[in-house]
Order: sequence, then structure tokens, then C-alpha cells
Amino acid sequence: MTDKDYLMLAIETSCDETSVAIVRGGREVLANVVSSQIETHRRFGGVVPEIASRKHVESITLILEEAFAKAGVGRGDIDAVAVTQGPGLIGALLVGVVAAKTLAMALDVPLIGTHHIAGHIYANRLIGEIVYPALALVVSGGHTELVLLEREGVFRIVGRTRDDAVGEAYDKVARALSFPYPGGPYVDKLAQASEEEVELPRAWLEPDSYDFSFSGLKSAVLAEINRAKMKGEELAQGALAKGFQASVIDVVTTKAMRAAQAFGVRQMLLCGGVAANLGLRERLTALCADAGLPLLIPPPSLCSDNAAMIAAAADLKWRRRAFTPLDMVAWPQLSLEEWSVQD
Amino acid sequence: MNESNREPTLLAFDTSTGTLAVSLYRDGHVVDATQSFTERNHSVRIVPEIREMLRRNGTGKEEIDAIAVGRGPGSYTGVRIAVSAAKTLAWTWDKPLVGVSSLEALALGAWQRLRQEADPLGRPAWIVPIMDARRGQVYGARFRAVAAGAGDVLAAGAWARADEDGIRLIGEWSEVLSARAAEAGASLWFVGETTPFEAELAKLEHAKTVPFAMDGGAIGPLAADRLRRGMTDDVHAFAPNYTQQTEAEAKLQASEAERTR
Repeated sequence: MTDKDYLMLAIETSCDETSVAIVRGGREVLANVVSSQIETHRRFGGVVPEIASRKHVESITLILEEAFAKAGVGRGDIDAVAVTQGPGLIGALLVGVVAAKTLAMALDVPLIGTHHIAGHIYANRLIGEIVYPALALVVSGGHTELVLLEREGVFRIVGRTRDDAVGEAYDKVARALSFPYPGGPYVDKLAQASEEEVELPRAWLEPDSYDFSFSGLKSAVLAEINRAKMKGEELAQGALAKGFQASVIDVVTTKAMRAAQAFGVRQMLLCGGVAANLGLRERLTALCADAGLPLLIPPPSLCSDNAAMIAAAADLKWRRRAFTPLDMVAWPQLSLEEWSVQD
Repeated sequence: MNESNREPTLLAFDTSTGTLAVSLYRDGHVVDATQSFTERNHSVRIVPEIREMLRRNGTGKEEIDAIAVGRGPGSYTGVRIAVSAAKTLAWTWDKPLVGVSSLEALALGAWQRLRQEADPLGRPAWIVPIMDARRGQVYGARFRAVAAGAGDVLAAGAWARADEDGIRLIGEWSEVLSARAAEAGASLWFVGETTPFEAELAKLEHAKTVPFAMDGGAIGPLAADRLRRGMTDDVHAFAPNYTQQTEAEAKLQASEAERTR
């Protein structure tokens, strides 16, 4: 077994997807089974942590079995077990962490505790080569960050949201427009289809800042909905969605391009659940093309939470034999920068 | 099991309370048991404890006949830790999984120590295991025990469940049990996490209160008994016994009921 053909089993349970992947050599995805709980959480209008934890326990071994069946390998073929150590919902993380430790012990292979955002970023390595220094724009339901990778496996957060994550803002706006949870994709579709646009503010913050803020924008959308209601006007849903999406995309892509230039990166990486947003993909693609900056964007199946991306990030530690002891702690506030490789 | 009459070898654990209990059951008795008070840290210690227990006893996976686990009730997060480990271990090693009630394990563990003090006239004892469920509530159950000399605590007629595992208001419930025990001529023992309810339980006339921490010792015999009767659990479908819905589900149900009224 070499670094090119070792088999990694990875588990991801940080939020509402139970996922198990089997990946060969850190790059070749043999199985990436994702069991989504969205249907369960929809009637509550969002993820209920206790229910998410209960669902993870109920499905964990079934998803393991499916992954092995799909990969066509045996339990004894596994060389390492990776798991999302954090960040995430503590109760949800714990199920995956305990299952992973148990597997590592039972199969007598090393354990690799892995950072969820490193997973999102390294999902890009499942589809292409990463060229350093690179800049990752991470956009998801829980995260909005600009991460600089000066070299492989070394993470530096240069910008982050000061309030809502992008995906969170999308879901809140979608709820105000009466779309079911999770509403991000509805807002994206509505925005794409609309000709009209309601002009909404952009939060640029300090001139030199790469941070983000979306709570003002969200409030502006809610105010517009209220205004229409008070005046008895029919709400221009499409125009409002288009205005909201335009503001978000304008701010995140402008800041990402500015940071890319300032740090002299050679590649842009888009990742996280909101990277499935069509408007965002198109705009960033156009901007990077104009700037002559290579761009990687994973397919939507590797943008939302999945275990293959955890295996891709854990590969950084596997190749350095940086394993995690079995008394590892599931850590909701795990730091990405501290998770960087140590060489 | 290779021979039908041989006692099974079981690896057993429970994390439903503040105690992490791990034990190895072999040749009809508990050969090793650890009890660590690692509140909120079960997920950290459980796997190393299991590994150390197997190493210390020179027990390989091929010698293990089944994985036994306390399925709750108890702390939601706590119960999930042992259940996640048990399901994964049973699946990975392809072993039968045997879930037992954590409350029954608590009750039997206490009874194994108490039965010498039990009524010499052989009157039945009602063993009521309780765990703090907050807001004046307990997870509780009731077992009927008869001290049958030095024989097997689980011998026919010596141990039987009388009330299902459930969440109950300790004040009301303990008074009802006290009156019924007096009527039935049984001794009444509240065992387990009794300390938070000392004042409440001290008011009862016919009850004894015995604080008792979960130990791994009782899960093995209970699981061996179930295994003998072929009562193994489906690994994939196995889930903790929470005894109640989540708050979110209860609220949603209540508001839906309100709407249809």
C-alpha cells in the first residue's frame, strides 16, 4: 500500500447529512454516500440539532454498509479512518466521531480528525490540481470565509462574516418570501428568472477589509416586504430576490477578487454549499476569466456536506503521518488555522 | 458461541449516566469492569477504555460472542455515545448486538449488592431505579426481586420487570409506589441517582434510598440472558430508548393539534 493506493474511509456528520465515503489515494472517490435529513427538518423550518443527532445514530451503520457495497471493497481493506472533528453541531459531530474511533480501533488503523472547512476547500482536489498560493472563497449555511493557502495544507483566514453566513441569509430571505426550508435554491432560481431588480444596499465595511456582513441586507429585504404589505402592493418577489442575490454576489466576488490580487494568488477555489448557486458560479467564473486567474469549482454533489471532501482533506495528514489519538475531542469551535499541517 | 451450553463472552458498556461503565463478561460472570466518572467526556474515553479492557484481558475480537450496550434512557447525548460505538463495533466485527435497558442495568447492579440486606422472610423487593431527568422528573422503572439465597440473581422468579422504562414526576410517582408497596407487603428501594431527590424520598414511610452509580457488572448478565433467549437486535435499526419525543416534535404536534381543534 502506497500513498497513491491506500484506502481511506471518511465520515461526516457535522450537521444534517450522514455521509460515508471511501476514497483511494486521497483523490479517487470509490463511494460517497450522503443521506440527507432535509425532509425531516423541513417541517421545523430549519435544522433541529437533537433530531439531527437522533437521525445520525439511526442511519450510521446503514450508510457505512452502503458505502462499502458501492466501493466494492471489504472492511479489512481500509487503511485509515477520517472524520469531521469540527466545526459543527456538537451532538451531531459526536455520532460520527464515536463511530470513526470505534472503526479505527476495530480495524486497527489510524484515525484522522479533520476540519470541516478544510474538507470543503480540498473538495477541489477531487476534481483538479490546486496551485499555491491559492485563495478559497468558502460559502455555506454556516460559513462565509476567504481563506488563503500560501502552500499545501496551511490555512490563513483573511476575511470572514461578522454576522450571518451567506447560506443563512439566503434561508432567512427565502423564509420571508414563504419558500420551504432550505430556500437558497428557490431564491437563486427566482433571481435568475427575473428581469426586474430592486436595488439593495451592499455592505463593504472598511475599505481594506475582507470581512463580510449580511444582516443589514437581510433587514433591507424584510423592510421591503413589510413596505409592500403596508401599502397593499403586490410584492415583486422576483425583483427582490434578484436584488438580494446581486448584492450578495457583488460583495463576495469583489472582495474575493481584491484579496486574490493583494495576496498574489495563482488560483481561486470556490466551495461550500452555496457554491452550488448558479448566479455565484457564473459571476466568479467571468471575473476570474477576465483576470486570467484559474478557478476551480466542485460539482454541486461535492459542494454540499459530504464525506469524500473529508477524505480529501485528511489526505494532507495521512501523507505526513499526522494521526489523531483515540481520545480525540469533537470540537464545535475547531480552528481551521490550527488544523494546518505542521511542516 | 461454539457450543450451545457455553456461557457467551460479551463486551458490555453504558454511557447513559455520568458514569462510563465498561465490562467483560465471560464464563458466566463479570471478569473485568471499569467505572469512570467522566461526565461529558464519555466520547473521549469510551474507545480507549474498550481497547484497554480487551488488551488487559488478552481478549481478541474472535473470542467476543456479542456486543452488549445500555440503550438508555438517560442523557440523550450520553446514550448516543455508547449506542453509536456498539452499533459500529457490532457491524464492523460482524457480531450480534444486544441492547439492554440502562435502568434495568442500574437496578440489577444495585440489587446484586443489596440482596444480602433484603428481607430474610423472602418478601419481594421492589427495586425502582431512577435517573435525574431535570425539572422534578426522573427516568424510572420498577423491578420485582426475590432474594433466592446465593443463586443466580436472574433465576426464574427471582427477577422480573414490573413497570416499563419511562419519564415520570418523582413526587407523584414515588408516593403512589410507596402506598402500593405497603399494600402488597413488598419492600421498596429507590436506587441510582437518588441524591437530587433525597428530601422528596425521605418523606416516604416504607422506602429505602440507595445512591448507586452505574457499573458495567449488570449489563453482561442481562445481555447474556437475552442472548440465550435469542433476543438480539438488528444493528441498523437499533436506536437509543429516549422514552420521549424531542421538544421540537412535541411543540409541533401540540400546535398542529391546536390548529385542527
